[in-house]
Amino acid sequence: MSSASQPINQLPKPSILERLVQRHSKLAIALVVVFIIIFVYGMVTAPNFLTLFNLKTIIRDAALVGIMAIGLTFVTLSGNFFLLSMKETAALCIIAFATGMASGWGFELSFLFTMVFALLAGISQGALIGIGGNPIVVTLGAAGVLYGLGAYWSDNLVVSYRRPHGAEWLGTGSFLGLPNITVAFILIAISAELLLRKTSFGRQVYLIGANRAAGRATGHENFWMAIKVCTIASVCSAFVAIAFSAQVSSAQVNYFSSEFGSSGDMTIMVIATVMVGGNSIMGGFGSTLRSSFGAIFISTVDNMMVLHGFNSGPRVFAVGLMIVFSIIVFAILRRGSRSEE
Amino acid sequence: MTVEKIISFIKQKPDLMFAFMLAFFVYCIFAFTNDYFMTHRTSFAIMERFAVLGLVGLALTLCIIAGEIDLSIGSNAALAAVIVVRFTDSLGAPTALLIAVTVSTIIGLIQGYFIAYLRIRAIVLTVGTLMLLRGISLFVAEEKTVMLTDFRIPDFITTKVLWYFSPASLTVIAMFVLVALFMNFTKYGREIYAIGGARKEALAAGISLKRPMIIVFAISGFCAGLGGVIIGLRSGTAQALGLQYLLLAGTVAAFIGGVSILGGRGGVIGAVIGALTVNFLNTGLVFNVTPAFMVQLYLGILLLVVIMFQTGSVIFEKRQRRYQILKDIDDRRERLKKEMTGGAQP
Amino acid sequence: MVEQLLSLSEITRSFGAINALKDVSFDVKPGEVMGLVGENGAGKSSLVKIIGGFDSGFSGQFTFAGKQARFSGPVMAERAGIAIAQQELSLIPTMSVAENVLLVGDNVPKIATKRQLRKLVKPFLLEVGLDYIDPATSVERLSVGERHLVEVARLIAHDPQLLILDEPTAALGETDSIRILEMVERLVKRGKSVIYVSHRLDEIFKICDRITILRDGRSVAVKKTQELSVSELVNLMLGRELENMFPKRISSSSKIPLLRVRNLWPDGLLEPVDIDIFPGEILGLAGQLGSGTGEILSAIAGAHSIRGGNLEMDGRVFMPKTPNDAINAKIAYCSEDRKHDGLFLGRPILENITSTALKRITNFGILQPPSEHMLANDIAKGFTIDNSRLLSDAGVLSGGNQQKVALGKWLAINPKVILVNEPTRGVDVGARAEIYQTLHKLAEQGTAIVVASTDLQEITNLPTRIIAFYRGLKVSELGYDEVSAENILTQITDPFGAAKLKR
Repeated sequence: MSSASQPINQLPKPSILERLVQRHSKLAIALVVVFIIIFVYGMVTAPNFLTLFNLKTIIRDAALVGIMAIGLTFVTLSGNFFLLSMKETAALCIIAFATGMASGWGFELSFLFTMVFALLAGISQGALIGIGGNPIVVTLGAAGVLYGLGAYWSDNLVVSYRRPHGAEWLGTGSFLGLPNITVAFILIAISAELLLRKTSFGRQVYLIGANRAAGRATGHENFWMAIKVCTIASVCSAFVAIAFSAQVSSAQVNYFSSEFGSSGDMTIMVIATVMVGGNSIMGGFGSTLRSSFGAIFISTVDNMMVLHGFNSGPRVFAVGLMIVFSIIVFAILRRGSRSEE
Repeated sequence: MTVEKIISFIKQKPDLMFAFMLAFFVYCIFAFTNDYFMTHRTSFAIMERFAVLGLVGLALTLCIIAGEIDLSIGSNAALAAVIVVRFTDSLGAPTALLIAVTVSTIIGLIQGYFIAYLRIRAIVLTVGTLMLLRGISLFVAEEKTVMLTDFRIPDFITTKVLWYFSPASLTVIAMFVLVALFMNFTKYGREIYAIGGARKEALAAGISLKRPMIIVFAISGFCAGLGGVIIGLRSGTAQALGLQYLLLAGTVAAFIGGVSILGGRGGVIGAVIGALTVNFLNTGLVFNVTPAFMVQLYLGILLLVVIMFQTGSVIFEKRQRRYQILKDIDDRRERLKKEMTGGAQP
Repeated sequence: MVEQLLSLSEITRSFGAINALKDVSFDVKPGEVMGLVGENGAGKSSLVKIIGGFDSGFSGQFTFAGKQARFSGPVMAERAGIAIAQQELSLIPTMSVAENVLLVGDNVPKIATKRQLRKLVKPFLLEVGLDYIDPATSVERLSVGERHLVEVARLIAHDPQLLILDEPTAALGETDSIRILEMVERLVKRGKSVIYVSHRLDEIFKICDRITILRDGRSVAVKKTQELSVSELVNLMLGRELENMFPKRISSSSKIPLLRVRNLWPDGLLEPVDIDIFPGEILGLAGQLGSGTGEILSAIAGAHSIRGGNLEMDGRVFMPKTPNDAINAKIAYCSEDRKHDGLFLGRPILENITSTALKRITNFGILQPPSEHMLANDIAKGFTIDNSRLLSDAGVLSGGNQQKVALGKWLAINPKVILVNEPTRGVDVGARAEIYQTLHKLAEQGTAIVVASTDLQEITNLPTRIIAFYRGLKVSELGYDEVSAENILTQITDPFGAAKLKR
């Protein structure tokens, strides 16, 4: 029996590259390398890819999904999985906003009005999840309810409001050469990351996500956390809904459904973005920065494919492939690194 | 004698009883508010809809029993629909049908394989495959809505057999019977219940994750394929991005039928009752000229109600168990007191 | 001349620098019950894992039923005729008894109705004494004891030659324990052999023919039960040298309790208890698994359901209902399972240490890294945790260092009372000594410390005084001078003198 008092598992400190290769599975590295090769090839051979305009387009296209993904990231990091009701919350909110604008309330009032709905949606779902409801099922049900409410309210018709309506600056305006929506994306991304890293709230998100039981034992209950993160996610959905409505001066419940973008289904895109960024589904690991990069990454691949002339079929396929691919790679990576315990 | 048996059956399976009563309740609401609801034609329409919804409900029931869920079921069905409609004209309906169902089943198999071998949660993987399959559907359909040119086939699919049934719904009923036999009478079916009811314990007991997982997802793929084929051939058209509503409807059907989100509970009979209930709701609402989004609203509310009922009964059972444990402790105390008369006690 | 059924010799097993087993010999005859005893960390689980086929990385001779054996997995061992009943159950609660017993294995019918299963299962249920249970009952309705028996029934269904029972009665009450013992006797009458691994020395003396004692990874002795007395056994198990890791026991100076526990009745205890906790002392709660000691600690901390009771501290009468209440009252509680709720694996050690006291390191909700680092460094120094690794993931630490972090994080709230369950479970000797030193220092500074432990050495040498529990009942209090290994052992295994030292 050893009488050593030296901790056994002290790793010597090799270089970063050595550590990467040491700790992670060969298969994962091979997959990533193959991917990088394909990616660089696509980038180099795509016409007009490396122009400033194109790069700005990439970020702008990533903005709406990116903002929602940032909101959802809080939910995922705290160990509450994800919400399947993001696009339905946006649907209800877009109707709320457009109704306000069409009634002549002006931007600020309509904004606040919309946020009330976002808060209600977030708090109620958060409370149900916090008392122990399974997030998937609760939000699946909530999705149907929210969408139905929005459709009922608008009779499933388009609600439009005339220009000038005071929201152009958000929808189509620009600042220092960047579209305002892109600026909003960048600002939200930065503030979300600061919130996570520098505040005690952010710290609680990570702790509860890493181990809910330990969180409870140290005085951090998931009930309040679930409410808070669901509210953040809903508010982000509402913001995106408002921004999009401002772009097109109208609203209809199905704006965020299958027909949205080439890849369809906003909810899936948002979840995909969170996963592709490398956030752990179980919580406790990841960041909103990762989700932002995930959004930009998916947008880049989509952009490349458009430049290469692909139809929506292959593009949707490519997004799906990226999701599955990143899931598999992260699964292998985490298995490889956790097996030391 | 039989009354006793019925009562003990009810006590043993409260979930099924709840589902049954809910189904009955929903049916009655519509039967009394709408003159046409209880007609022969309506019942046939219900059975027709039941065919596809029943399949999806069955597939999701199996997945949830196994402790997972298949979010890609709608996309898988859509792919099958697209394949069958696209290729019927050139290859004939039977061949196209066979290809479509085989493709869907293989997709399910592959998903089950990855979930088992890489120990990925199904919910995570199927978010990706959901997209993947849509892309493939768009590609096969060449980005447009595909249509049949020969409309004798839809007519055949919907011919009435035995008053209420059609070839489609009869096939589905056969499927239900087979799966029920499998789940209840074979070792492999029990393995599926085991890995869902208590995954860690099942693995510790020596059950391999691979076999039951691959079986469950292969069945799920098969059901999605068969369902998509039925819808495609029945209506004569197919859209690559369609059939997404099947996920919500199927999930509601599964939960009404008594599955638990924790896994390990539920059965084929429950799936049938759940699917019928959702169907009654759907058909009834359509009869009352309710728009599709309202149907979604009601389904959402129904799901939340069922979930809250389930959560409530879990809490109730926990409390019951605590009372039982406390009673055991009280018994033990009494016995120990009796033994101690005469023993040394400081 | 009886042939050995199982024979191991010169078995050595190391994990890196740790020697789990060194030159161990162990044998079992057909039709005999062999007891396996030893303190925590003596090597019992390692040995059992090797025999059961869970571990093939050993060196030495392993013969079973006349053949050389090195099983690649438990399934192979089972085929050869060896079955283990582990401490953690592997039953499926949602399925019936019959389905659980015939769940897995080569001889399980592939196609069978539920009624057929129920019929097939009856003889096995009879064997383990569960013939009164309807095989259609779902396992979640059974008591813990009955569940253990169902687990054994599953193993019996494969007709093993050798059955290993690992702490079979740890979580059981009186009646269920007796059932297990009767089952062992029945099996042995039929010619099977049983390895009985347990801390319950009364049971060991009741049914074992021979006893093997392990200590520090070596087989110290093999004796016939009749030739052994309790004190001889205890001496063989404990040895002398390791007492040096304990600092001299403190005796308390204060006469006024810091915390009064009144009428506390946690679920799991037969009767309510009153306990006085004094500052400057270490109070030990001695008792085996199932005695209720752990439940008392978690109840005080608001983490366990109770039927009644309250605490008095600083003139205030209250009862924590959630861990937060306890933390606000400056009561710290560290559970026995650090992986479950003591550590945030995946987060840096720094965050783990400060997780209990975020308020101290934030200003208007914003984290103050300088305060955080200072607090963490202070605690790390106090607990001899390496400062330079504060940013590493808590998961890479050794067991001992993990335990230090799990315990140490509570210092951040400046607790008045520290409750610890199993302070050194899975901790190497060096870290143990450090933890004991730190607990002592804290007690000397006026903190009240309560330790619950099933480790006999620890509970004998660490605390100032002892309260002993047996199967949910408080049985005695031992003052400073009355504390000895034998006294404690008697109180926690056989306080009423029920075990006779014969069969």
